[in-house]
Amino acid sequence: MATTQIRMEKPKPNVWPMRLWYLLLGVMLLVGAYGMWQTLWHGLAVTNLTDRVPWGLWITHDLSAIALGAGAFTFSAVVYLFRIKRFEPIARMAVFVGFLGYSSAMLALAMDIGRPDRFYHPLIYWNVHSVLWEITLCVILYSTVLIIEFVPIVLESRFFNGRPRARAFGHMLHKLTPVMAAVGLGLSLLHQSSLGATYGVLSGREIWFKPSMPVLFILSAVAGGVSLTLLVTIVVSKLSGRELIDKFLRRDIARLAAFALLAYLYLKMWDWAATSYYSHAPGTADALLRLQATTPYTQSFWIIEVFLGILVPVVILLNRPLRRQTGLLIFALVLVIVGVVVNRWNVTLSGLTVPPQWSPGVLGNVVATPYFPSWVEVFVSLGILAYALLVLTLGVKYLPLFRKTAVAEH
Amino acid sequence: MTTTSQKNKQSSLLSRRDVLKIAGATGGAILLSRAFTSGPLSADSISGLARTTHASAAHEWHMGIDLDKCIGCQYCLWACQATNDVPDDEMRWNVGFPERTENGTDFFMTRPCLHCQEAPCTKVCPVGATWVREDGIVAMDYDRCIGCRYCEVACPYDVRRFNWSVSTAENPYDPTWGTPEVARRPRGVVEKCTFCVHRIDRGLEQGLTPGVDPQATPACVNICPVGARVFGDVHDPDSPITKFLEENDTFRLREDFGTEPKVHYVRPAKEEV
Repeated sequence: MATTQIRMEKPKPNVWPMRLWYLLLGVMLLVGAYGMWQTLWHGLAVTNLTDRVPWGLWITHDLSAIALGAGAFTFSAVVYLFRIKRFEPIARMAVFVGFLGYSSAMLALAMDIGRPDRFYHPLIYWNVHSVLWEITLCVILYSTVLIIEFVPIVLESRFFNGRPRARAFGHMLHKLTPVMAAVGLGLSLLHQSSLGATYGVLSGREIWFKPSMPVLFILSAVAGGVSLTLLVTIVVSKLSGRELIDKFLRRDIARLAAFALLAYLYLKMWDWAATSYYSHAPGTADALLRLQATTPYTQSFWIIEVFLGILVPVVILLNRPLRRQTGLLIFALVLVIVGVVVNRWNVTLSGLTVPPQWSPGVLGNVVATPYFPSWVEVFVSLGILAYALLVLTLGVKYLPLFRKTAVAEH
Repeated sequence: MTTTSQKNKQSSLLSRRDVLKIAGATGGAILLSRAFTSGPLSADSISGLARTTHASAAHEWHMGIDLDKCIGCQYCLWACQATNDVPDDEMRWNVGFPERTENGTDFFMTRPCLHCQEAPCTKVCPVGATWVREDGIVAMDYDRCIGCRYCEVACPYDVRRFNWSVSTAENPYDPTWGTPEVARRPRGVVEKCTFCVHRIDRGLEQGLTPGVDPQATPACVNICPVGARVFGDVHDPDSPITKFLEENDTFRLREDFGTEPKVHYVRPAKEEV
């Protein structure tokens, strides 16, 4: 049974780890399906969201998935636009991970909007003044780009062995890759930054209202997206026993992630210094004080986002003896991803839990509103995560994500 | 893909063809952006299609709230809930709560939607389901709203309310404080104070003067037993709001946000300030 299923690879003695993995994903999918049914049937009342904190876990999921999908546009641009061919072996994996990220984000958004039946409205009713409208259009267009980049990989798989016309169509699409890389780069630069601008343009929310937001978002997205692509590649290499990328490429990608992290850190620290250290903007200072009093925002900012999410991984990624230990490298990449996710959570919740004081009195009736996701929210997020992990597993198993370069360079 | 094209590419960084391609793309992008901003694809021409409003720029509706006159009876909150059919107190469009000045004087703070001229909520809506009408009222289109709640996130005054579930509760304020004049909103869309726009639009058709004739004036203004709320057209020199603004030293909530609200307040305990 086991030998027929995985004839491409070396025979594995034990099928149980994979079976347990599928079982876990199956349970997560079931739980997610239950959560989605609850949400669609009863409405968003099943969440812990309120009019004060109308965005929470799902928006964090959505922002994180898009940010962590940024490896796709980064590597597509590096390989197909700037023609730095030594990164080519990882480009397909990056596109695949990006596709999973964007499709996850769209699933999370579909659950999060109050009227999923009107999902198409941004396409027919345009408000060009809204960054969210721009993001919606960019994400839809970019998902199309990802599909065009991804379809040739599917058509190259062994399922299409007897279908030359499908293969020919795949090759034709593949020729579009450089154009798609250019379009994808433009679209990604726009919407990845605009996701930060979603918060950065809100003049009534002092803790958000700053021009650094879009740039912080895109820098962290590049760092996170590159890291996730490398992480998946290394984990798959380790599990399958195949060296999917050589140690030089591994080094170069680790460095790319580290440099993106350093650029992110540079701006992040200036952002903090300019808004909270060298200056005293009353609104921002007041909001930060109230955040400190009611949430672990300050600790999670410094400990998780900056120390664990940037400094520790940068040291590991740039230090050869440390980087060469696969376990440590995996640890560093996981930290980067956790740092990006916690950042998206912190950004979203910080501006909402401490709303601006608009009452002319002093009793402080505009109070901080705590938020913690409900079980249904957690279930839906687990389901979407399971979707991404399941498709990733199947893709790694059945798609030629790494084979192409080995064949083409002969 | 082919080996020949790979050989050709080493000649220079940018070929003439590349330059032409980039120039073409740039030109196309400029034309496209022109079409989006001022041309046939612009927000005004596209999102204006579905909007049938009676609004005319000849009027501009503002409200005045005299916190010194207010006695905190909360009638304005209840009349609003009855008229606009908001059964749930958590969903109140018009909110009120006890407050205190810096000098220790207690007062009652109330707040409808401020109908900002530079409303952050209207700028962010991805589908143009909310907009500033020609007469300054911030309107909502419940049929267009997708329920993303970005407007709630953008509004600094906590004005907007989302329908988290289907509203089926009996309205405890009907009929004591008024009767519902608008349909209840469906699940999944955002709603907020409308300045009783249905009364304004209908009243103008009937030749009435909003702010003066009760049938054309917001419910909260009509019900106030002490006349703490006034309403009217700031373009009309004889309107109650124009007189209110002339006679009082008024302020607006968080003017530093640059939102240009159309609700003007008189401070509580005037002599202290």
